Amino acid sequence: MSGAAFVIEAARWWLWAGAAVAAAFLAIGIDRVDEDARGAYAFRPLLVPAILLVWPLVLWRWGRLELGGGDWAARYRPPRAVHLPVALILAAALAFALVAGLAVRQTWPANVSPMQIAPPGTVEP
Amino acid sequence: MSVKYTPVQWNRFKWGYDAVLIASTALFLWIFVDLAPGILSHERPIDRNIHNARAFGVCAFLMLTVILCIGPLARLDRRFLPLLYNRRHFGVLTAAVATTHAYFILNFYFNFSPVDKFEAALLSNASYGQLSGFPFEALGIFALLCLLILSATSHDFWMKFLTPPVWKALHYLIYPTYAAVVGHVMLGTLQDQDHQGFTVIVLVGAVLVAALHLGAAVRERVRLPAPAPWLPVAHALSIADGRARIAVLPTGDRVAVFRMGDHLSAIANACAHQNGPLGEGRIIDCLVTCPWHGFQYDVTNGRSPAPFTERVPTYGLRLEDGMVYVNPQANPPGTYVAPLFAPHDPITPVAEGKSAKRDQNDPAADDPAEGGPAHV
Repeated sequence: MSGAAFVIEAARWWLWAGAAVAAAFLAIGIDRVDEDARGAYAFRPLLVPAILLVWPLVLWRWGRLELGGGDWAARYRPPRAVHLPVALILAAALAFALVAGLAVRQTWPANVSPMQIAPPGTVEP
Repeated sequence: MSVKYTPVQWNRFKWGYDAVLIASTALFLWIFVDLAPGILSHERPIDRNIHNARAFGVCAFLMLTVILCIGPLARLDRRFLPLLYNRRHFGVLTAAVATTHAYFILNFYFNFSPVDKFEAALLSNASYGQLSGFPFEALGIFALLCLLILSATSHDFWMKFLTPPVWKALHYLIYPTYAAVVGHVMLGTLQDQDHQGFTVIVLVGAVLVAALHLGAAVRERVRLPAPAPWLPVAHALSIADGRARIAVLPTGDRVAVFRMGDHLSAIANACAHQNGPLGEGRIIDCLVTCPWHGFQYDVTNGRSPAPFTERVPTYGLRLEDGMVYVNPQANPPGTYVAPLFAPHDPITPVAEGKSAKRDQNDPAADDPAEGGPAHV
């Protein structure tokens, strides 16, 4: 199995696991951990794509909420302190991408007529 | 506000926002797909799939660039707040456009391979050790995956379920996503020097995004005060009626101190909905109103009016020589704190009254010129 085939197969298993978590969470878990979700069903299909993609995060939060964990103050503490470092890293990454892309940009002579390539072992036309 | 979750909390402003968004996207694609081939006058006609892939790719890049400009623009100038209001729908549409781009690419460039087309996309170029000829497809795949995660977790439920710190940390993925998209474009299609116009668009877009984020971050940078039992916020008379002053605590948390008539009260600055800056809103009908989405709170106890259930923490206040001090220890969300009596200056502009008629879901109706808050 090639590396690419392995990645595709792993992605397939990841999505199947996500589907199992989605079924369990949307049928049982969501009503247990969020009172606003009780009796609200129309929005639940919208949650399926996210659960398929980030199901380990869903399991972790579900477990935390079932065990009563969590810091209420954290809910009101947006991580704004990292804005400046993030902006600096973003600017550096964009500068690198722009410079690197322009630096390796290919050039070739203009107005070159196309040449037909012959298969190996045959006489050039 | 929410009592129970719904798929989308529609209102007139959201309908208008989405209508403009979809119409603009459709117009761009129509011009690119149907009009551009004649304008570009290719020497050899290109395949329809390639042209469609380019149209959706360019559209996704431009949409992502605009999305990334909205956040810092709204921080720098409150007139851009209406654009922030429904940005989640903008993001979801961008993910859909980017997915369509990937669909056309997969079904043309990789569809005629002896192996599965997804496998072919990963196999076709594995020169990860060199910059020239770098597999830019991998950058595009990474960016698409991130966009799908961001759009899939954009419902209000995810903010509450994951908690804002986790949700926001997850949504910081937008930054590596944009860097990957710029790399994908620069090392991909722009290696062909026939696209000078698009080269300029990408350069301008990326520089604009970087500059706006740096500008907004530098402007927000504040020195944190030394730890103290009670922290000075502002002179009581400097707080306009119906408005707030925002204090930054040693922990980095922000507190909004509001004046309502002759009384002052303090609540957390982060809205329970999406952490919008409550202190940049104002009091409407005796309720603090978030400038982002119109969520409202009783300023004395941090609770949304029934039947809504949102709550934010409250803080204790005291007055010394006209200066307002805040207790940095937050009270649990929804805790009542008796308002601090602090008669206001009769010449201070009064904000209430004229605000009662505004659409509370329309941040465009907020008037930034009226005694805005200041960091202390």
